[in-house]
Amino acid sequence: MSFGRFYRLIADNADVICFGIWVTVQLAIISMLIAVVVGLIACLGSLSRARILRFPSMLFVEFGRNTPILVQLIWVHFAWPEILGIKFSAWTSAVIALSLQSSGYLAEEFRAGIESIDKGQIEASQALGMTYQRLMRRIVVPQALMRMIPGILNQFVTCFKSTSIVSVIAVPDLMYQAGLIVSMTFLPMPVYSFVALLYFLMVMMIALGVRFATRRLPQFGYFNQHHGRE
Amino acid sequence: MQSSQPVKPLVRLSAVWKRFGRLDVLKGIDLDVSDGATVAIIGPSGSGKSTLVRCLNHLEPIQDGTIDIDGFLITPRGVEKNGRLLPQREVAKFRTLLGMVFQQFNLFPHLTVLGNIIEAPTGVLGRDRAEVTDEAMDLLAKVNLGDKANTYPAQLSGGQQQRAAIVRSLIMHPKIMLFDEPTSALDPELIGEVLKVIGDLAIKGRTSIIVTHELAFARDIASKIAFMDAGLIIEEGPPDKLLTSPKLDRTRAFIARIR
Repeated sequence: MSFGRFYRLIADNADVICFGIWVTVQLAIISMLIAVVVGLIACLGSLSRARILRFPSMLFVEFGRNTPILVQLIWVHFAWPEILGIKFSAWTSAVIALSLQSSGYLAEEFRAGIESIDKGQIEASQALGMTYQRLMRRIVVPQALMRMIPGILNQFVTCFKSTSIVSVIAVPDLMYQAGLIVSMTFLPMPVYSFVALLYFLMVMMIALGVRFATRRLPQFGYFNQHHGRE
Repeated sequence: MQSSQPVKPLVRLSAVWKRFGRLDVLKGIDLDVSDGATVAIIGPSGSGKSTLVRCLNHLEPIQDGTIDIDGFLITPRGVEKNGRLLPQREVAKFRTLLGMVFQQFNLFPHLTVLGNIIEAPTGVLGRDRAEVTDEAMDLLAKVNLGDKANTYPAQLSGGQQQRAAIVRSLIMHPKIMLFDEPTSALDPELIGEVLKVIGDLAIKGRTSIIVTHELAFARDIASKIAFMDAGLIIEEGPPDKLLTSPKLDRTRAFIARIR
């Protein structure tokens, strides 16, 4: 295939490809935003002293982490409507499945972040009269979030790549759009090669951004506080 | 009614017992601290000094005995007032009665010095931000940190951090100050500046309990010294008496060793 024909193939289908990119980006961002909130809630739930909160939260986290994304997607899209009696669009199923998996991983990330906060921080907060809710909100979670930013961004990269799977339930993401073009042109080699290159460039850009952002993070010079106690 | 003690002490520990798992750390502590007094607690490492002060603001629950603090009663059940067990929210309020200074300072690294100081008075006590800031700047000037208000803790020396931590406690206007080895994590040349702030500012007109290894300092500021060993207060008395002519061999050996 000459470069001229390749260029025409892409140019002719630019709108289809751009729409696919837009859907992919939207899916990744919306799923991640939901996953950050749900992951934080699940994490606080699994750290809770109340069993009624802790067990469902832990189950949710482990399920999200320990089932394949394809299984989750198919399960949400085809089983949930029957279980819940509501019908979702393919797009909704995709967002649910993607955020389910990411929130599981993020919850673990959050838990590690919160548990890495020095016990002395909690004691100092308590000694100043803060309630558990206040010291979590004002002292522990802000510090933990700073430490979690690299983990959140890395999960975003993973989530972005996972979006390609939603094409199996006919969500018109980049991968699905590529399939459309192939079915019209019968030219799988140039189309899929171009799409692979697009994914590679987009993920590389995000990953480089992550690396840059992580290095520039204010650290407030976290120092090792070890604990003398008797 | 005890005729020998007409004035009820502000803090009274009775047979306080504290256990970590199967390890008994406090084995029946009795101690009275009268209003306005400064009590220094000395003793070897592992004798339970830190645990004792941490029980006073209920950072550590106790397993037996009672601690009476200004009308509140700490028991193995929790913190009680007039026989009623206080819920979490009111235990937090009770803790504002006591200020605490830690060995490791425990400043909040994500807040500036000023942010550290005004967090609790504005958030917990609901005081006006501008007014608290004025008071904070005033106190910072008194501890020679007037120019460090907008600095993050990690940029300060240990001595500066501890002075900021003391201001953070004082601005809550606690009735009682607790110090848990406030200079033990400091380089020797920084100890003096912190002790000066404690002596000149923190304990002035305030009931204080201080765990320390600085015997000369304890002698200067304390109205009473208690010597702890293996979970018990085995000797207590006025500083001059306890430090120069202790009754027990254990006390004498400890004082000789630390000098």
